[in-house]
Amino acid sequence: MEPAIDDAYLVRRAREGYLDAYQVLVERHGPRAYRVALRLLGNREDAEDVTQDALLAAWQALPTFRAEASFATWLCRIVTTRALNKSTRTARTETLNETPDPARGPAEQAEQDLIATAVAEAIDALPAAQRLALILHQFEGLSYSEIAEITDSTVAAVRSHLYRARRTLAITLQDWR
Amino acid sequence: MTTPQMSIEVPYGDPGADPAPLLRDPDGRLACGADVDDLLEHVADRNATEFDAHQADCPHCRAALTELGDLWTPILALAAIPITAPPAMTATVMRRLAQLLHDVWYTLEPTGSGSIRVAARAVAVLARNAAMRVPGVRIAFGRSTHEPLATLTDTATRHHRYPHTAVGLLGQTAAIELALAVTYGEPIDDVAREVQRRVINELRDTIGLHHVTINVTVDDVVRPS
Repeated sequence: MEPAIDDAYLVRRAREGYLDAYQVLVERHGPRAYRVALRLLGNREDAEDVTQDALLAAWQALPTFRAEASFATWLCRIVTTRALNKSTRTARTETLNETPDPARGPAEQAEQDLIATAVAEAIDALPAAQRLALILHQFEGLSYSEIAEITDSTVAAVRSHLYRARRTLAITLQDWR
Repeated sequence: MTTPQMSIEVPYGDPGADPAPLLRDPDGRLACGADVDDLLEHVADRNATEFDAHQADCPHCRAALTELGDLWTPILALAAIPITAPPAMTATVMRRLAQLLHDVWYTLEPTGSGSIRVAARAVAVLARNAAMRVPGVRIAFGRSTHEPLATLTDTATRHHRYPHTAVGLLGQTAAIELALAVTYGEPIDDVAREVQRRVINELRDTIGLHHVTINVTVDDVVRPS
């Protein structure tokens, strides 16, 4: 398999006006941007709106993009900023689970969905910085340094946010027992 | 203040092995000195069954990791739920971008029953796809014209009978720019000429453009894996 064309090349072409180069970047990084937005907002429609707007904003801001930076990180920063600004912390009304497990009966699936929604709401209740660090690390697998870049913070601050977020969640989960 | 009720028995009979009360203590440590935050990080990062040298021999840590691992299971289950982006999201974004760029340049072929218009961007995509089929081309991007020129011409032709037709594409004439990355070791000159030939044929055969200028820029060489 041939190596994928790297993001830096695609960004250079996109800046020169090659719209299809930007399309490759959208196809490559749009899904993560949407996942992060959905986890932050808890609503698919809002998540798609925010992701689309972020991708358009990123295109318009390409001239300000620093060549040595990571496009993925930069886009994630744009989408998280917009999602947090939009977030109203209302109760979640839909489950994240789009494809129910066929091995589970309806009752068991309903119970799993309830647990998932309750956990998501517990995460929603965290302070924004903790919530963002937890989602990016626990759910998207980003490193502490990547999160620090996205949040314009330090690795030490990210670690601190994660420690506090995990503590709070662990206590909440324990109280449910 | 009430003490949390635990439903799971912690082995070893040592209260220091029970992480539950320690979660509420900012400086919580097990009897062995292990930091409860470090243990929580360990299970959160899905390492509950992998132990470092101390944990491997420490009954306090092993018991606490088991307990915290159980506690953290719903978070891992939530993380495991697959989330897929809406299938049309990319297409929607690109359509909105095209609108943003005023990508309204058309080729116009007056016919007896009306007119046929093709977006310049569509022509660029056809050219790009034809170029991608040439051996040695790793990736190709196409654009029909420079935006500043497009804007100027758009303004100049606004009151013409067929606005926008003078930009990039006019009647049956098109000017396409292609940027290519070529596989390392391929003869670049031959690849570029073959790209020009195929794109010209493609545009002639698919949409009847007979006067096509293809400007090819090879701006990168990519090593095969």
